[in-house]
Amino acid sequence: MENLRSLWILMKREFRRLASRWLYWFIMLLAPAFCFFFFADLLKQGLPTNLPVAVVDEDHTAMSRQLARSLDAFAQTQVVMKTADFSEARRAMQRGEVYGIFHIPEDFRCEVSTGKEPIISFYTNDTYILPGSLVYKDMRLQSALANGAVQQTLLLAKGEGGPLIQAKLMPITVDTNPLNNPWLSYAVYLANILLPAFVFMFAMFTATYSIGEEIKEGTSGEWLRAGRGSIVLSLLGKLLPQTSIFLLIGLLYLSVLYGYLHFPLNSGFFPMFLAMLLLVLAAQGFAVFVTGIARQNRIALSFCGLWGVLSFSICGFTYPVRSMPELIQIASNLFPMRHYFLLYVDQALNGIGMIYSWQPYIALFLFTLLPLLTLPKLKLDLLEQRYLP
Amino acid sequence: MNENDMKRSIYDIFYIFRREFYTVFRDHAVLTFFIVLTLVYPLVYTYIYSNEVVREVPVAVIDQAQSSLSREFLRNWDASANVNIVAYCTDLEEARELMYQKKIYGILEIPADFSKAVYRGEQAHVALFCDMGALLNYKALLQAASDVAIAMGKQIQVEGLTYASSAHQQSTVSPVKIGEVKMFNPQSGFASFIIPAVLVLVIQQSLLLGVGTIAGTSRDRSRRKSMIPLNRHYRKAWCIVAGKTCLYMPVYFLMAFWVFFIVPRIFSLTQIAPKGELMIFLFPFLLACVFLAIAASFLSKEREQPFLLFVFTSVPLMFISGISWPKEGIPDYWLAIAKIFPSSHGIDGFVKINNLGATLGDVRQEYLWLWFLAVIYFVLACFLFRREIRRVTK
Repeated sequence: MENLRSLWILMKREFRRLASRWLYWFIMLLAPAFCFFFFADLLKQGLPTNLPVAVVDEDHTAMSRQLARSLDAFAQTQVVMKTADFSEARRAMQRGEVYGIFHIPEDFRCEVSTGKEPIISFYTNDTYILPGSLVYKDMRLQSALANGAVQQTLLLAKGEGGPLIQAKLMPITVDTNPLNNPWLSYAVYLANILLPAFVFMFAMFTATYSIGEEIKEGTSGEWLRAGRGSIVLSLLGKLLPQTSIFLLIGLLYLSVLYGYLHFPLNSGFFPMFLAMLLLVLAAQGFAVFVTGIARQNRIALSFCGLWGVLSFSICGFTYPVRSMPELIQIASNLFPMRHYFLLYVDQALNGIGMIYSWQPYIALFLFTLLPLLTLPKLKLDLLEQRYLP
Repeated sequence: MNENDMKRSIYDIFYIFRREFYTVFRDHAVLTFFIVLTLVYPLVYTYIYSNEVVREVPVAVIDQAQSSLSREFLRNWDASANVNIVAYCTDLEEARELMYQKKIYGILEIPADFSKAVYRGEQAHVALFCDMGALLNYKALLQAASDVAIAMGKQIQVEGLTYASSAHQQSTVSPVKIGEVKMFNPQSGFASFIIPAVLVLVIQQSLLLGVGTIAGTSRDRSRRKSMIPLNRHYRKAWCIVAGKTCLYMPVYFLMAFWVFFIVPRIFSLTQIAPKGELMIFLFPFLLACVFLAIAASFLSKEREQPFLLFVFTSVPLMFISGISWPKEGIPDYWLAIAKIFPSSHGIDGFVKINNLGATLGDVRQEYLWLWFLAVIYFVLACFLFRREIRRVTK
């Protein structure tokens, strides 16, 4: 009973502290809101369309113009440059003005008709990997179509046709089933991880910074007294208000992703709610752990910053962890975001039973328990109340 | 300004430079940002992506046709660098179970009528199921499967033309040859694509953090929360900015050399730029970053604050630079906002010169923007310091 009352007092104290400084408002409200609007706005179109390519037409026939026109008709490709000079197109690519070059050689039509097998070539700039691969797809399909069209004409001329002509042109086809993201939407897989990663980062920063400030301002003694000398109680009183705020932000993110944008949520809401709750707790657990180890607050903050920024790469949502060096594969387990990512794939995306995801759930929970290792030292530091720059 | 004034100013600049020198090299926090972060971060980051591409994705196959043709398809698929068949399953349920356990990331199912369809002259289908947790796995599997389908398809077409000569067979099967060339990043490597942008960002962000820490510390230490000491040398705003810049620039010349020239070499990334040209381009970039950092440091009210203010901006800055996400897909107003950060122009220009072999003339626009930003941030920094001087001397 006594404990509950002091917990209530501690929480009120913390809410007042959080509200009293613009920096907390910035990191708990402004920055998360900015990230949210920024990425929601950026990714709202799903895949980018009308990526610029150049067509180098050295043939100048109706056939080559037809090829260029139908390339332009693809949704993701737009022919912004038509030229007869390859080096002009290459220079445009070097200036970053086009992502691809579609090259139709001289005498193309003539060679097709006489069976001399002319070569259509296309060039993509994979320094910009996403647009590069999108225009690659369109240009490859366009060349295959050109091939098919010629073959079809030849076969028809020979009197072969009818329903089997498709089989003649492509005897084997691959039917693809991209499970649970049939639109191949980049927005789905980027937004689902980017936004929680920001929650993770901000929750870590706030926890570490707010504890460090107690020492710096010389209020840590008073804080511990309000918690009746118990470090556990004091920490709970300090962190629970932050937990509730970041959980609220996280849930807002989730409800916009799944409720408003209708991204795949095949597990129902509870498994992702649990994942978000555990992510916020893991962030705070990690932060308190680091704060306990590092005597100086700036070092603890450095660690949190490093962990937060590396999370974006090491959780493996753009480049799979399986393909990283072995050392990094092992290290990736030390990042709560990695486990959140696995939970997202299992639950929201694939909607498989929660039992399959027990490992990442447990892992996130273990991060929550990490502070237990450093509590005694943290208490000593707080009692000593000496700020080290 | 007469000669005496000039001498005074130069002496002030030198004084401020010396004082700044001691501040930086005695403060571990600042050194961490200026030196350790810029030394280590590019290494760690590049190491993460050093395998460049996705290879040998583990998959399961369900071969219901059990014919020589279906086995040939699977053999060819397995032989591709992208695919590694780790399990043969009897039905989709079994394979799905493996996928749930993360043992495999894709399933290829060959239906029972596969070879029959081929021999009857109908179109045969195979079905590829992919876990979409990572798009690169899907791409690797799909590319390998469609390559096999096309190659085997051609063979089947040729076999169907028994009466024709081999030249005739060839020209019927593929009347047009297709040549594809991937320029500047031939293996579509991930590190080659993302690291150049990261390198540029590291320079800007480490300066923001470091200079922010210096500002926060001096505010912590002074009773009036002031950025400058009460000292007659700190009376001209432009001298303060110049003095600080005289220290930061040489430090960052060294760091930039490491980041832009040595790190890419360690990991054998693309470097096709003439060194001199790249240096000429990078000079205004560094200058703009230094002035931006000095101006932005006014936001940092205490030593620990730069983390909270600046760290998270790296990710949005990465996205609006046009590397992670193509510029054509970014709304115009974000592109306009991107223009006020040196990193956007820096990334653009660096990638074009270093990776695409553009000349300085090709990136004239970025180059001029960087000079323009350098001037703007210099003026802004001077203005902020002048206000600070007035506040302190009042």
